[in-house]
Amino acid sequence: MEHRQIGTKADEEGKGSFPTPTEIDSRKHGMWSLGWQRFKRNRTGMVGLALVAVVVFFALFGPFFAPYHPNDQSAMLEFRSKAPPSLKNLFGTDRMGFDVATRVIYGAPTALVVGVGSMAIASIIGIIMGGFSGYIGGMADELLMRFTEFFLVIPIFIVILIIVRIFGIVVVGTALENIPYLNLSTIIIILGVFSWPPIARMARAEFLRLKEMEFVEAARCIGVGRPGIIFRHILPNAMPSLIVLIALGIGGAILMEAMISFLGFGDPKAISWGQLLYFNYEFLKIAPWASIAPGLAIFITVLGFNLLADGLTDAFNPRLKE
Amino acid sequence: MGILRFIIRRLIFMVALVIGVSILIFFMINAIGNPIDILLAERPGVTPEVIEIVKKYYRLDRSLTEQYISWLGNVARLDFGTSIIFNQPVKDLLVTWGWETMKLQVTAILISLGIAIFIGVTAATRQYSKIDFGVMSAALLGRSLPGFFLGILLILIFSYWLGIFPSYGAYSTRNMLLGSPLLDSLWHMVLPVSMLAYFNTATLTLLIRSNMVDVLRQDFIMAARASGLKSRHVVYRHALKNAFIPALTYLAILFGLMLGTAPVTETIFTWPGLGYLYITAIQQLDFPVIMGTNLVITLMLVTANLLTDIAYVFIDPRIRLE
Amino acid sequence: MDEKTDNKDILLDVKDLRVYFYTGAGIVRAVDGAAFGLRSAQTLGLVGESGSGKTISSLSLLRLIPRPGRIISGRIDFQNENIMEKTEADMIKIRGKKISMIFQNPAYSLNPIYTIGDQLGEILIWHEKIKRGEANGRIAELLRLVGITDPESRSRQFPHELSGGMKQRVCIARALLCNPALVLADEPTTNLDVTIQAQILDLLADLKDRFHMAMILVTHDMGVVARMADRISVMYAGRICETSDAGTIFREPCHPYTSALLSSMPRIDQSYSRTEARRLTVIHGRIPNLIDPPSGCRFHPRCPHAVEACGEMMPEPEQIGEDHFVSCHLSGQIRKGT
Repeated sequence: MEHRQIGTKADEEGKGSFPTPTEIDSRKHGMWSLGWQRFKRNRTGMVGLALVAVVVFFALFGPFFAPYHPNDQSAMLEFRSKAPPSLKNLFGTDRMGFDVATRVIYGAPTALVVGVGSMAIASIIGIIMGGFSGYIGGMADELLMRFTEFFLVIPIFIVILIIVRIFGIVVVGTALENIPYLNLSTIIIILGVFSWPPIARMARAEFLRLKEMEFVEAARCIGVGRPGIIFRHILPNAMPSLIVLIALGIGGAILMEAMISFLGFGDPKAISWGQLLYFNYEFLKIAPWASIAPGLAIFITVLGFNLLADGLTDAFNPRLKE
Repeated sequence: MGILRFIIRRLIFMVALVIGVSILIFFMINAIGNPIDILLAERPGVTPEVIEIVKKYYRLDRSLTEQYISWLGNVARLDFGTSIIFNQPVKDLLVTWGWETMKLQVTAILISLGIAIFIGVTAATRQYSKIDFGVMSAALLGRSLPGFFLGILLILIFSYWLGIFPSYGAYSTRNMLLGSPLLDSLWHMVLPVSMLAYFNTATLTLLIRSNMVDVLRQDFIMAARASGLKSRHVVYRHALKNAFIPALTYLAILFGLMLGTAPVTETIFTWPGLGYLYITAIQQLDFPVIMGTNLVITLMLVTANLLTDIAYVFIDPRIRLE
Repeated sequence: MDEKTDNKDILLDVKDLRVYFYTGAGIVRAVDGAAFGLRSAQTLGLVGESGSGKTISSLSLLRLIPRPGRIISGRIDFQNENIMEKTEADMIKIRGKKISMIFQNPAYSLNPIYTIGDQLGEILIWHEKIKRGEANGRIAELLRLVGITDPESRSRQFPHELSGGMKQRVCIARALLCNPALVLADEPTTNLDVTIQAQILDLLADLKDRFHMAMILVTHDMGVVARMADRISVMYAGRICETSDAGTIFREPCHPYTSALLSSMPRIDQSYSRTEARRLTVIHGRIPNLIDPPSGCRFHPRCPHAVEACGEMMPEPEQIGEDHFVSCHLSGQIRKGT
C-alpha cells in the first residue's frame, strides 16, 4: 500500500513551521515493507528465518547432493552397520546399514510437506470459518465458538492416533491401498483438520476487531461490495497475526507427525524423522547417533519456525519500549 | 448464583463432550468391522456358525447403537468390560496404569508451576538484567526443544552414559534403590518428570514473566508502593496474583498437551501408564481398552479444564458479574 | 530555595534535583536541576506541559523512581530531614504515612482483585498496627468524609463496581489514611468528567483545611492551579522557570514561558477570530528532546525574547521579589511583560 506522507519539517532548534510535503516515499510505508524493516532488526526472527531457510534448502536440493541413496544398505554388507560417525558416513550408519546423514536429508522434504500441507489445509478452513463467523456473527458465531472449544479440550493426539490406525486397516484390500504415500497424506489431512480451530479463533477475533474500524466504513461508503471488503480490506490487515499462528502451526505439525511416526503409526514408505527415530530407538545405547541426528533435525526445524513466529509477532506488533 | 449456573453449564458441556468423543471413537473402531470377525478371521476350524455363537456370547450381534448405549450404561456402573489382550477387567487396568500416569503428570505440573513462578517473578523484577535475558533465552529454547527428543537425550546422557537413573519402567524388579520402594519409584520418576516438566516450565516462565512485567508497570503497583507497603509484599500479593490469572487458563491447555502426548512419553521410558496401554490397545485392536482409556483420558482433561474455569471465577472478581 | 527568615515552618525544601533515565536511546534528563518547596499546610501548584518532569519530581520525594531512572543528585529536606540519606526501611515509614500520593488515573490505581476495604485496611494496619475491626471503623469514617455514601457496603465492593469519581474519592481517602503532613496529587482530576472535576477539587480544598495538610498539586491545567494553589512553580523541561505565590504568577509573570502559558489559555471574556490580532496565541515549537536538550536555557529556542546569552548559559534562579524567583537572564526587562 503506497501513500504519500505529509510531514512537518521542524528544524533542529525546535522552531515550528508550516507543514510541507516531504518527498513521495513510495514502497517504504506500506504495512508489509514496514513490517519487513522491523523484522530485519529483530535478531530472533532473523535467526529463525535462517534456520527455516536451511531446512528448505535441504528439502529442495538435499537429495541432489546426499552422499548415498537413502535405501542403500551396502554398509550392512560390509559389516559397517551401526557404525559411529566417520569420514565415510558423516553421521554414522544405523542398525540396517543405512547412512544416517542421507536419511536425515531425505527427511527434510517430508517434514516440510507435512508442515506446510497441513497448515495450508488448516488455514483455508480456519480463515473461512473464522472470518465468516466473525463477520456475520449471530448463531454461526456461537456454533463456531463451541466447536473450537471442543477441539481445545479433547486430547487431539490420542484421537489422531486412533484415526490413523483405523484408516490404515480400513484401507487394506481396497483400491485406495495403492495410492503412494497414502498414509502420509492421511496424516497431513488429519493434522490439517485438527489444526484449524485455533486459526479460526484468531481469524474471528481479527474480523470482529477490524470490521468496526473506520476504514471499513469508509470503503463501504464509496461502494465497495462485501467480497471486496472482506478480501481487499479486512483480510490483508488480519494476515500478520494469522501468519504468526501459521508459522507456529507448521512447527507444531512437523512435531506431531514426528510423534505419530515415532510410535509406529507413520508411513513406512516415507522417510520422515519420526520414522527414523522409530526404527533406531531400540538401538539407542549402541548407535545413539542414529537417533540423535533425526532428533536434532526436528529440533532445529521446530526452533526455526518458533523463532520466526516470535520475530514476526515483534515485527507486526511492536511493543512500545519505555 | 451466577457462579452456580455457570458451573452447571460448564459441567453439562463437559459431559456432552466426553460422551461425544466416546461416540466418535466407538463408531470409528467399529468401522473396521466386528471385533469377533477380525479376531477369528481365517482361523482354521472356525465356521460362520461358531462366529455367530461367539458374537452372541459377547453380545456383539446387536446394532451398534444398542452396543454403545449398553456400554455407556455399564460405564455408569463402573464396568468397562474385559480386555481382549490381557483378559482382565478393564477397570482394573485403568486404575493400575492410570495411577502410574497420574504420578508423572501431577508431579510434573506442580514442579513446573513452582519453578515457573519463582523464576518468572525473579526475572520480571530484574527486568533487562543479565538474569532476565538468560531466563528468556533459556525459556525460548526450551519451548522449541521437542519434549520427546529431550527424553531421548536424557536417557542417553543420564542413564546410558552416566548411569545415574534407570532408563525404563516405573519400578525395579531387583535391586531396589536403598531397599525402599518409595525411593525406588521416585528414582524412576526423575527422568520422565524432567522431560514432561521442561516444556511446561519454559512456557509458563515466559508467560508469567511477561505478565508480571505488564502488571508491575501498572499504576496500582506504584500506588501500593507509595502507600508504604514492602516491596516483597507488593510483588507477591498484589502483582503476582494479577499476573497469574491468564496463566491459569494456559495451565489447563498445558496439562492437556502433557496428558495428550502421554503415549509418546511413556513409550520413551517404557512407563506402564495409560498412554502405553492405549498404544498397545490400538495396535492390537482391543476395543474395550480403547474405549475405556479414551474415556478416562478425556475425562481427566475435561476435569482439569473445568477446575481452571472455576478457579478463574473465584480469583478474578471482574468475571463474576457476567 | 526559600531564603526565608522563619525556617521552622518550611515543610519541604528541594534543591538541585536531578533525575536521569538511562535508556538504550541515551540518557534522558527528566529533571535537571529543579528546586521547589513549601511550608506546612500550604498548597504548591507544580505546573508544566507533559514531559516537563513534574510527575518525576513528586515521585522523587518518595524515592520511587522506576528503573531505568535514578536520582543523580539533589537535596530533599522534608521536616528538616534529608530524604536522600534515608534507608529503604526509613522510606517505608514515610510513604503513605507522612507523605502520600494520589495518582492520575483512578481507574488504574486500585488493585482490581481486592475489595476497597481490603486495600485500604492493609495500608492502615501496616502503618498503625491496629486491629482489623478498628481499621474498618476508621476507614468507614474516612470514606464518609470523602463523600461516599454507605461506606460499609462500599468497602466490600471491588474497584470495577465504582464510578470514576468514586474511585478517585477512594484514592483520596487512601492518601489520608494516616493523616500525612504532605499529599502529592498528580493530575487528580485530569481523567475525570468535567462535572466531577469540580466536586473533587472542592473536596480536596475542604480536606486540606480540615486536616491541615500541605499539598503539591501537579497539573498542566492553569485553571485548577488558580483555584487551589497558594504558591505556584512553573516547570519546563526538567527545570523550574518561575516560582511565586499564585496571585503574582497570574498578574505579573516574569518568565517568558509563564507568560506564554497564561496567554495561551482561552479566556471567557475575550472573543477570538482568525485575524492576526484576535488569534489564540500558541507557543511555537515543541518541547525539547530530553536526551539532547538545548544548550543554556531550555526554553530559548521557543522564546520570543531570547538573546545570545540564553543559548550559552543556563540561567540560575534569582530572587526578584519577596517570594518570587525566576530563572531567566532577562527577568529584569520582562518584569512588566506580556
